[in-house]
Amino acid sequence: MTPLLEVAGVSKHFGGLYALNALDLHVDEGEIVSVIGPNGAGKSTVFNVITGLYAPDAGDVRFRGESILGRLPSQVTKLGIARTFQNVKLFPNMTVLENAMVGQHCRSRTGVLGAILRTPKTKAEEARIRERAQEALAFFGSRLSGYRQDQSANTLSYANRRRLEMARAMATEPSLLLLDEPTAGMNPRETLELRDHIKRMRDERGLTILVIEHDMRVVKGVSDRVVALDYGQRIAQGTYEEVANDEHVIEAYLGTKAVG
Amino acid sequence: MDRSIARTAVFTGAIAGIVVIYLALVGMIERLDDLPIIGRVGMDTILIFLPAAVGGWVVTRPRVVGGERRTTTPGAAAVTGMAEGLVAGVVVELALGLVSVLGIETVRQVFSAVSPALIEIMRFHMAPVPAAVVMIAGTTFVGLAGGVLRVLPKEVRAPIASGLFAIVVVALLQRVIAPAFDQMNIERDWLYSPVTTGLTWIGGAVVFVLTAAAVRFHLGRWLAGILMPSRYPSAAPATAPSDAEGTNREASSEDRRTSLDAGISRRGIAIVAWCVIALIVAFLPYLVGPVVSRILGTVGIFLLLGLGLNIVVGFAGLLDLGYVAFFAVGAYFTAILTGGQRVTFTGYEAPAFGFHLSFYAALPIVIAIAALVGVIIGAPVLRLRGDYLAIVTLGFGEIARVIFGSTWAQSLFGGSLGMSGITAAKVPGVPMNFQADPRHFYFLVLVFCLLAVFVSWRLQGSRVGRAWNAMREDEQVADAMGISTTRFKLLAFAMGGAIGAVGGALFAVSLGSLTIASFQILVSITALAVIILGGLGSIPGVVVGALVLIGLPGLLTQFVDYRLLIYGAVLIAIMLLRPQGLVPNVRVSRELKEDERSQDQWAKHLLEQDATDAPEPTGGALT
Amino acid sequence: MAEEGVRAETPTVRKLSRLERLPIRRIVLTVLTVAIAVVVGGGIYKTLTLPEAERLGWTFWANLMVIGLALGAVYALIALGYTLVYGILRMINFAHGEVFMAGAFGSYFFATAYADSGFLNAHPWAALGILFLVGMTVSTAIAVLLERVAYRPLRNAPRLVPLITAIGASLFLQNSFQGFFGSQTRGYPRPSILDGTIQIGQVSFDKIDPVVIITAIVVMAGLQFFVKRTKTGKAMRAVAQDREIASLMGIDVDRVVVTTFVLGGMLAGIAGVLYALTFGQVGATMGFLPGIAAFTAAVLGGIGSIPGAAIGGLTLGVAESVGPYLLLIGIDVPSPYELRGVITFSILVLVLIFRPGGILGTGEAEKV
Repeated sequence: MTPLLEVAGVSKHFGGLYALNALDLHVDEGEIVSVIGPNGAGKSTVFNVITGLYAPDAGDVRFRGESILGRLPSQVTKLGIARTFQNVKLFPNMTVLENAMVGQHCRSRTGVLGAILRTPKTKAEEARIRERAQEALAFFGSRLSGYRQDQSANTLSYANRRRLEMARAMATEPSLLLLDEPTAGMNPRETLELRDHIKRMRDERGLTILVIEHDMRVVKGVSDRVVALDYGQRIAQGTYEEVANDEHVIEAYLGTKAVG
Repeated sequence: MDRSIARTAVFTGAIAGIVVIYLALVGMIERLDDLPIIGRVGMDTILIFLPAAVGGWVVTRPRVVGGERRTTTPGAAAVTGMAEGLVAGVVVELALGLVSVLGIETVRQVFSAVSPALIEIMRFHMAPVPAAVVMIAGTTFVGLAGGVLRVLPKEVRAPIASGLFAIVVVALLQRVIAPAFDQMNIERDWLYSPVTTGLTWIGGAVVFVLTAAAVRFHLGRWLAGILMPSRYPSAAPATAPSDAEGTNREASSEDRRTSLDAGISRRGIAIVAWCVIALIVAFLPYLVGPVVSRILGTVGIFLLLGLGLNIVVGFAGLLDLGYVAFFAVGAYFTAILTGGQRVTFTGYEAPAFGFHLSFYAALPIVIAIAALVGVIIGAPVLRLRGDYLAIVTLGFGEIARVIFGSTWAQSLFGGSLGMSGITAAKVPGVPMNFQADPRHFYFLVLVFCLLAVFVSWRLQGSRVGRAWNAMREDEQVADAMGISTTRFKLLAFAMGGAIGAVGGALFAVSLGSLTIASFQILVSITALAVIILGGLGSIPGVVVGALVLIGLPGLLTQFVDYRLLIYGAVLIAIMLLRPQGLVPNVRVSRELKEDERSQDQWAKHLLEQDATDAPEPTGGALT
Repeated sequence: MAEEGVRAETPTVRKLSRLERLPIRRIVLTVLTVAIAVVVGGGIYKTLTLPEAERLGWTFWANLMVIGLALGAVYALIALGYTLVYGILRMINFAHGEVFMAGAFGSYFFATAYADSGFLNAHPWAALGILFLVGMTVSTAIAVLLERVAYRPLRNAPRLVPLITAIGASLFLQNSFQGFFGSQTRGYPRPSILDGTIQIGQVSFDKIDPVVIITAIVVMAGLQFFVKRTKTGKAMRAVAQDREIASLMGIDVDRVVVTTFVLGGMLAGIAGVLYALTFGQVGATMGFLPGIAAFTAAVLGGIGSIPGAAIGGLTLGVAESVGPYLLLIGIDVPSPYELRGVITFSILVLVLIFRPGGILGTGEAEKV
């Protein structure tokens, strides 16, 4: 069976620096794959290449077997890949609900004419957009529901902002969800809660998830497979236990044992 | 009074004095001599004393000393204000003295506004010495007033300031209100003096009292809440001490009960209010007469331009400085399509490609052309950032102007001599002649304005508007969320351009002829000033902006020469003091204050949060 | 599952339509490039291959070149003001054209006084020296006033805000000068020593032109020295690279910003006097078009780069002078000089689309 996402031999350099070096990576449908690696290993860069923000210098990216290289980011999202960002990038002055409704943009079609005339079809679609957005928000329970939905996004707490960003990504009805360090900056309780959320995303909503993470409790708790990167290359992949004990991985994080 | 406050007072006073001198040198004071406001006091006198008053207000600002916020005591405010006023008066008198030493004629060789008439005005038609006394006493007094105003409690201060402001406004609107009273057979000599056309003292007093009362009892806020409940979800008129939280806290259970029934009757009142407004707007031309109707027609055209530009700049966030291109496209292509003729040295000739369609048949074609031009202008600038985008669009505007007025394109557009003989838009059965009767034009423009408002409003609340908002806030993220920024940017240009072209079309038929002089960059900048003053992205704001910036100079010929000066000053002042405009769009308002606010919000949450289920503090009812 | 059921009702598009796959931008740009190449290439070809009787002689072109270089020199001086401010504050000082105008206008009063009294012709270099001083002083005063009142409070505002303020300031200054001094253009006197033409071989040009060019070059060399060799210059370069870090290193950012505006103002003042001497007139609106042209020059050469402003200015000046005739005579466009604005703006647009870094830039699309 073809993997849902395939990153094949992708290289990307900036000036003299190789952010990605002939990287191979794949995600099968229904999997949760974690990407780990020390800072600067190229993890966010992979996301940027997949979503079309950067064009790779070599290699291919295939989604459902077809190459998506050269597609604009908006087109990639439409094809079914959604992402969150390392530094939370909400639309700060739009309300929580509006942020989520933006996610539904690529799943709707009303144009200028429909907007002006407000045909029944338009109204129905607008209601559907709202409903789907609320569904996505409801995934996180009462935190992003009820009166919260009409607050502007920049009044949210940090953890809720992260959640909103994920809800917004989920509102695009993706097949594949890319989460970039979703628990960064959260306290332990929030982190564990998010770990369960990620699992629920796959179990309840059928999403395939590729997540960049530093927190090993989360990695251990959610991953079907773990991929370790260093210097833009894959240095290990397998289950959490396998990767955690892989000597290359240990070396990448901790350095080699001092001699003597 | 400690040293630093003294220094500030002197500095501010000097600035105030310089402002007066500036106003004199630029010619405004002399020009406004014949604009009476109340009794014998004209706008020029107000301009002479206003800077000192404002200075008094500014100099008594609460200051942060050693980490504490210290408000000024009444005594200190009075003294500081007086000091500031005194300095202002002294500065002005020194300048006047300098002029008399050097001789008026000498100074006039450089500053053409300095004339015996100006000096007379600045000396209040008195001999130099008494005049100096009056001046300095006057500025000191208004400085004091400004300072005292600062320390008055809010419930007293707001009504007084509004009352004074209203006196000026009602006086300036004499040309509108007086004929309206006449038409409705209401006696108006008590209000407007038949001699000076300014307010009478009695009239002024009445205006002052009414306005002060309205402000004191928050009638304005109440009315706004009735008319636009989604934007202003406010309480009923307050009789309790004015403090927004205060009225809520003190709301008794009885108030709450009445407010439930009030909910239903509020809607009733709202409907009635809107009907009244609609009636006024519909009958306005008959109330105010043909001259003012013509001015309103021009206001309407710029309202259209403002609405169109509002889509490009306010909704989509693309700073377009070349908007006049669409205006020109609309005007010139309407002319060509409806049988307009080129003006040549030897008379009139048909353009190389001309048709004789009716206005309404030509309009869709013109709109289509404008939309196409919008796409052509938009496509190259898709990846450009704010300032570059502005300059490039400015360039396009200039290119358009050059082409439309060029000798090369003369066979189509008449070159520097322009076009003429543009048939007016006719409604079957109704004889319309716009030059003879501007009232008909008013209705034509009104219809299109209402259409444009409707279209803007619908777009704003739709998926398209949402996409524009997202794009404006963070383009990269909007892209990542599946919004094709290319498409929506082009759409913004096309829609904005189409509306602008309609404005141009109306402009063409209103005048019947076109010269390239009407299509300078100033049109673009005026449209920009209108939406900035009113509030970027705010539809009611555009209306306000157009009325103020186009209506006032239109009504008051004394301001016409200084129109652009005022536009420039308004742009600067708004950006410095209130970038979200007079009638802000809530979202844009947040964006513009973002960087003040985001830091605070952030810190607040770090401090206040302990459990994740703790509800976030609401920042008040945000709509 | 319920979710699946809901989703199955309304089909969501997973494939991209043909229309979406079209790279619209690339198509439009390619068409544009081809169109421009045809017009420009064709125009030049036709102009240069006109029949013998109609063809324009090389003396004609040489003359135009000289005029163009002189104009370009003025543009370069103004462009430096734009580029310096942009480098430090990342904002376009839209009102810089008015700074230029103020210097010219300021010196006007002295110039006419000297002309009337004969001082101008009796001691031309002294008179000119004073004119330059006055011009520089007025321009600098306006520039500093702008910075202090209109720009400093907005240093951290979103980018739209200072730009609009600058536009407002430009309007305000233009119209203030109109109010003070009237809207008609005034004749600017020229000392007789600079009048007349020089003949070199078959080419004759106005004496004033080479004077302008040389003055400008000297001034620019001085500026380059200042920025590269002095401590203030180094501080300026530091702030241009990273304002925050520079302030952490102990550099007084406010002072550097003011210095930048002062420099820009001085250059614009000199440019103003040169321009007035060349064209013989000043007016309240004289700053607008040269301002835009100078900005184009700054972008053309590479905004933020001092040699770039110089190169851009000279190039643009020549393009504006020679361009209309070179491109348009051949294709029978009447009054090509009218259309020189189109050439200027077209250059601006094309540079920003295809090579936003300008001539001296890296050629890579700026990552916004």
